[in-house]
Amino acid sequence: MIGCYLTGMLPRPKELIEITRAYERRKVDKNELEKSFRKATEKVIEAQMVAGFSYVTDGMLKWQDLLRPFTEGLSGIELGSLARWFNNNTFYRKPIIVNAIERRKNIVKDITYLEQMPKSFPWKAILPAPYTFVSISENRCYKNETEFMFDYAQIINEEIKSLAEAGFSYVQLSDPALVYEPLASSVKRDKLALANDALTIAVKGTPVKTCLQAFFGDFSRILPEALDFPVDHLGIDLYETNFEKLKEYSFEKGVALGLVDSRSSLVENQDELVTVAKELIDSIYRSKMSEVFICPNCDLEFLPWERAEEKMKVIGGVSKRLREEFYE
Amino acid sequence: MNKLFPTQEIGSLAKPKWRVKGYRGESLSKAEIVEAVKWGRKLRIENLDGLVKLLGERDSPSRRKAILEWSAKYAIRLFEKAGLDIIFDGEQWRSEMYEHVVRKTAGFKFLGYVKSFDYRYFNKAACIDKPKYVKPFYLDEFLFTRENTEKEVKVPFTGPYTLVDWTFNEYYEKRLSGEFRDFRMRKFEAKREFLFDLIKGVIRPEISKLVDSGAKWIQIDEPAATTNPTDEEMELFVESFNETVKGFHCTFSLHNCYSNYEVLAKYACELRNCSQLALEFANRDSRQTGIGNARTGYKEIKLFEDYGFHGNYGLGVIDVHTDFVEPPELVRDRILHAAKMIDDPSRIHVSTDCGLRTRTWEISFQKLTNMVLGAELTRKALE
Repeated sequence: MIGCYLTGMLPRPKELIEITRAYERRKVDKNELEKSFRKATEKVIEAQMVAGFSYVTDGMLKWQDLLRPFTEGLSGIELGSLARWFNNNTFYRKPIIVNAIERRKNIVKDITYLEQMPKSFPWKAILPAPYTFVSISENRCYKNETEFMFDYAQIINEEIKSLAEAGFSYVQLSDPALVYEPLASSVKRDKLALANDALTIAVKGTPVKTCLQAFFGDFSRILPEALDFPVDHLGIDLYETNFEKLKEYSFEKGVALGLVDSRSSLVENQDELVTVAKELIDSIYRSKMSEVFICPNCDLEFLPWERAEEKMKVIGGVSKRLREEFYE
Repeated sequence: MNKLFPTQEIGSLAKPKWRVKGYRGESLSKAEIVEAVKWGRKLRIENLDGLVKLLGERDSPSRRKAILEWSAKYAIRLFEKAGLDIIFDGEQWRSEMYEHVVRKTAGFKFLGYVKSFDYRYFNKAACIDKPKYVKPFYLDEFLFTRENTEKEVKVPFTGPYTLVDWTFNEYYEKRLSGEFRDFRMRKFEAKREFLFDLIKGVIRPEISKLVDSGAKWIQIDEPAATTNPTDEEMELFVESFNETVKGFHCTFSLHNCYSNYEVLAKYACELRNCSQLALEFANRDSRQTGIGNARTGYKEIKLFEDYGFHGNYGLGVIDVHTDFVEPPELVRDRILHAAKMIDDPSRIHVSTDCGLRTRTWEISFQKLTNMVLGAELTRKALE
């Protein structure tokens, strides 16, 4: 099958940005803010359906950063100062781990606009992967990283189960830190083994499709190990990945091809994306093609809403054309 | 400069309410006018009645221009009164370091607000055509400053690498579409072309005008310098700096803050014609007095020294993100500590970490006054 979906937070539409700024200046109250979030969520869900997506998310408009619901929702964590979000001109609050982390309530389920989600459509949720959460937090509690990562992975496992119960059928784990290593010439192999162990804990016994989405870095650097990760699909940032190296590997798992660039406002040419996707699919699936999703390389939140919406249409369009190419 | 430890601010100072609202043509409250007069008296600004009268007038281009001149004069006097050796006008004529340049240059279009963090956003532009120099964007501000002070003037100048890094690159990415099948290589090449076209077509023409009009010192502000710490990107940054300053008879320096100094240190020696690195340290430091272990924020100086940087430091001794007013003794110990590390006190210029735009004038004035007192204490300590 060839489908398409989002891989992260959507940008807040202009009217919502204005309300959040007014809220900061104490010009509107929490109720009005909440109402605006709900309304904007309806709008961004609708946009995904119009674009012909195979799964919808609630757009994650409320998420201040990818880690924040966990930074604020788990016990044992304090909210740290602002830190650069990888190589972007965007910032996140560093989680400071002061005690063993514990999950005392549903984290993602509670922040998601479940009532706004369309009943007859498959739902996708997105969570920070264990490796990334641990490597960009400040650990003042755990003696070693492995222990911290396994505790967090266990929490993710509970989260995925609670999301499955709520009706989600697809969960993506976002793992930029796994591929973003600008100062290292190669990725350490034991790091990949650790990531694999943590993922095994995170997805164990979960009745959903899972994807590990690695962005801001070159996916070929974590190959071939990533081919054995215990997830259904592997998400690749094609704006950071060396195509030739990627093509050297043979895949059996499904892939999410980050063909649309969330960090560029230029709206992609669909013909070119179709050509590139076909070439990549032909190269990496030497025996049998698996599930393929067309998606943005990372969160579309780096763009103003109008541009993100246009890019969602490109994703839907490319996905439709590829379906025609491969199945008709 | 002959004396040891000359003092400087990085660039920006908050804009007074009367400057912001007055410029927008909004009416001012009595309290805001009183505030203008209070600071005017404190700074011994002449003809304050003229300002009050102006603030009461209806909006017009000439009124807006006059308001900018008044606020520049205020900022210049504030720096002078605090006792700084090297000054500018607190960037009173600029809306903001990025927008100011982009709005005055052709080839850019603002696309709207994108998230910076939480409920904070910034207005991000896209490059939609080859950048073209339309009119000077810093020249008039420099001329006004120079006319209004006897002090040495340093012009803060938003660097090209940062302008490019903070802008969507539509024009060049589109131009190269189809040429590279590897998207990563295409993006990098597009960035490179954008950067050097901007330097050649916009940045250098402005520097040329400044130098021809008598600018002696231009500080290139590159907060984005280490955002992409790969060798490939750092080499691009260094090349962009060198190309920017090449061949001009003028002193150049680089300001970079809240960055990865391990990465910057590695490349600092490759910056040509860069007389000073103005870096942020106070923000990373403890508030205890003393030299040695107390000075946790200054250890990265060693990296720059070890990589063989021989230029001057604009040593950040004032944290611009807190209202804590550093006592002169703390300033002194920060300077003494750094002087000991580099074994040559003449290489130290005493500086704020970054521009003071997020502090009130009251706090900024106290901080700068203490910075100057601290430099004086250090000179005495070394006598």
